[in-house]
Amino acid sequence: MKREKILIADDSEMNRSILADMLSDNYDIIEAEDGVQATAILKTHITELSLLLLDIVMPNLDGFGVLEAMNRNDWIDAVPVIIISAENSSTHVERAYELGATDFIARPFDALIVRRRVVNTLLLYAKQKRLIGMVENQVYEQERQNDMMIDILSHIMEFRNGESGLHILHVRTLTDLLLSALQKKTDKYKLTMADIGMISTASALHDIGKMAIDEKILNKPGKLTPEEFEIMKTHSAIGANMISDLPVHRQEQLVKIAYEICRWHHERYDGRGYPDGLVGDDIPISAQVVALADVYDALTSERVYKPPFTHDAAIAMITRGECGAFNPLLIECMNENMDQFRAARDKNPDEIRSHKLMRISEEKLRDTGGASQRTLRLLDRERVRNSFFATMAEAIQFEYTCEPPMLTLSVFGAKKLGISEIIMDPINDQKLAAAVGSESMQTLLDNLHTTTPEHPDVKLDCSIRMDGMNRWCRVVMRSMWTEEVTPRLEGVLGTVLDIHDSHQKMQELEKRATRDAMTGLLNRASAREQIILRMQDGPENNFALAFFDVDDFKLANDIYGHEFGDRVLKCVAARMHDSTRGSDISCRAGGDEFMLFLEYKTDIEKTIDRIFHAICCDFEGFRISVTMGVALSRDVGTSYDALFRAADAALYAVKRVTKGNYRFYDDSLKNTLEAEEASDRKGE
Amino acid sequence: MTMTLETCYATMGADYNDVLGRLRSERLVQKFVLKFLDDKSFDLLCSSFAAGNYEDAFRASHTIKGMCQNLSFTKLMESSSELTESLRGGSPSPQSEELLRRVIDDYRMTADAIRAFESELGA
Repeated sequence: MKREKILIADDSEMNRSILADMLSDNYDIIEAEDGVQATAILKTHITELSLLLLDIVMPNLDGFGVLEAMNRNDWIDAVPVIIISAENSSTHVERAYELGATDFIARPFDALIVRRRVVNTLLLYAKQKRLIGMVENQVYEQERQNDMMIDILSHIMEFRNGESGLHILHVRTLTDLLLSALQKKTDKYKLTMADIGMISTASALHDIGKMAIDEKILNKPGKLTPEEFEIMKTHSAIGANMISDLPVHRQEQLVKIAYEICRWHHERYDGRGYPDGLVGDDIPISAQVVALADVYDALTSERVYKPPFTHDAAIAMITRGECGAFNPLLIECMNENMDQFRAARDKNPDEIRSHKLMRISEEKLRDTGGASQRTLRLLDRERVRNSFFATMAEAIQFEYTCEPPMLTLSVFGAKKLGISEIIMDPINDQKLAAAVGSESMQTLLDNLHTTTPEHPDVKLDCSIRMDGMNRWCRVVMRSMWTEEVTPRLEGVLGTVLDIHDSHQKMQELEKRATRDAMTGLLNRASAREQIILRMQDGPENNFALAFFDVDDFKLANDIYGHEFGDRVLKCVAARMHDSTRGSDISCRAGGDEFMLFLEYKTDIEKTIDRIFHAICCDFEGFRISVTMGVALSRDVGTSYDALFRAADAALYAVKRVTKGNYRFYDDSLKNTLEAEEASDRKGE
Repeated sequence: MTMTLETCYATMGADYNDVLGRLRSERLVQKFVLKFLDDKSFDLLCSSFAAGNYEDAFRASHTIKGMCQNLSFTKLMESSSELTESLRGGSPSPQSEELLRRVIDDYRMTADAIRAFESELGA
């Protein structure tokens, strides 16, 4: 990194000398004895100067005179000015600010304050200065940071899903590719480059709802049962809710797009997808594209439940409509860009990135004029993106620069660690060492020393003190190097993820995922869990499990429509709720099947009879009746599976004769049950 | 008696702890204390005041005040600060002469202390 140049203008040699001493370790210093000299140096060195430290009371031309000259010559926007003066009357200060001074340091000088103000001002202006010049570097850097955020998110998902972390990157690249092809083909969707960038970025979040899905289902080898598949399907709506529940950024375009993608990336063009059954272009184009990218990458990747298909096989399967129904335009885009599709799949993340950066540069060249406007927009979007991802991940972000040796923490991070946002000379900072723990600090440094320009990333787990407690954290860091022949370390970007918290959060989300969305009853998996726990707690007690379904439900659906069918199910759930105690477990087991679990002391027959008749009723001209089988723990024991099978056998025993009735399991059904179990075992 | 930087500060009515707190190194404090005598502002103050050039006198007094602030020379800082205010605007006030005499006294005391410290260093 080139050292920045600072001009110090003060008539007192001693004052200049004190300031120079404070700053010369990290900056090149030029001195001026009065305002005239200062103006002359500004004129000849304006492009090299990074900062002016300006005294007010000087001979020949005072500080105000220098500021006026800077305004006349438009230098004031190029070089920030910090006033250094014993003059601290408010009229002086005000006049200096009016003339464009950035900051004010009153004498006597405090070394720490001077250094910090200088760094802050330089940081503030660095951005604007790069805007005046060319923005390539800035954009490049922002892209890198943004990519890192996506990497981090991928790591979290990988951590949870057991999916390849590359899936998110691939989906993103393929999304970008499809959208670019689509943009060339039609202007139907009015896609701008900015839209394409945002949709690609947001695609990283498409499966975020899977955080709420039971790991056992998520990582189950082999086919999911219909019940498990129903649970799996909730991830799109859950993901969308997570996005809309975000406390911040709700109005941002990126967040809106992320919502679309999460909710609708499993819709089908023919309307047979979920969760809303949207048809055709009622599905936002963002979600349509991500859906196709997702399917292609899933087909060509290895998963716990399947080997990978080849590129050609995957394309053929998608084109033949075997893996969903897609917009024909998108299928065309895929088939016309087959080679790029295949290549994108094989690229490693770095290649993907450089490809993207190239495109950004190309676009900038086309966009002559208004470059800085555009850049401002770009930067603003990057800022939103970064803080958005940081919010999603609740991460402590940090940036370290070698010159000056300074650590900048995100607001969240500083709060979490209980230290200030800017720390000079962090390696020797005792407060930082105390906050992080000196052992972890050493581990971090050791790991950092293993990075090279070719392998700049390092990921490790270590214990870090947060809010006064030691917590396990995942730290992801990327070292940044100069582009010289012998690269030097320029700085480090990093993120600390509190893994404790994410565990807790996942548990919370799991809790949310235990209920059936329509009826509010427990779903089958969570009911099963609770029933098992209840019986473990009191194996001596009496338990009953009732399993039932709604008679002629299909008929109700066919005659009166699905919406009516849903209301019937809600009615059954409400009546179940009203006729049972809070301690009983009511569950919608799937479709029109329900389950009820209760503990009883005496006379279970009467209780079941009451509940059965409470559920059966007339509902808007439709007779709701149910067929129910009941099993008691005193007959079959306190195993959930035994209870369930017995109740199920009783239910089918009723059905063989009639419907709209109930019966208890008894020994007369033992033979049927055993025969069934035997045939089940054979089938396995 | 041995004259340390700290006793030198005490002798001239200055605040050693304050300056060390800000500059953060005894080496730096010493360097600038020794530089103080090289500054020509005091001579400029006396000569321009005598010649009735109050604008230059104001700036010279202002510079002395600034140096004293940076070095925590409390006593001289107070008198030079008052003198600076009395000269602001380029014309003297009735108190200016009296204030100048106080600055001269304080400056001499400060300069004596520094010279004593300097000779101690040399010895």
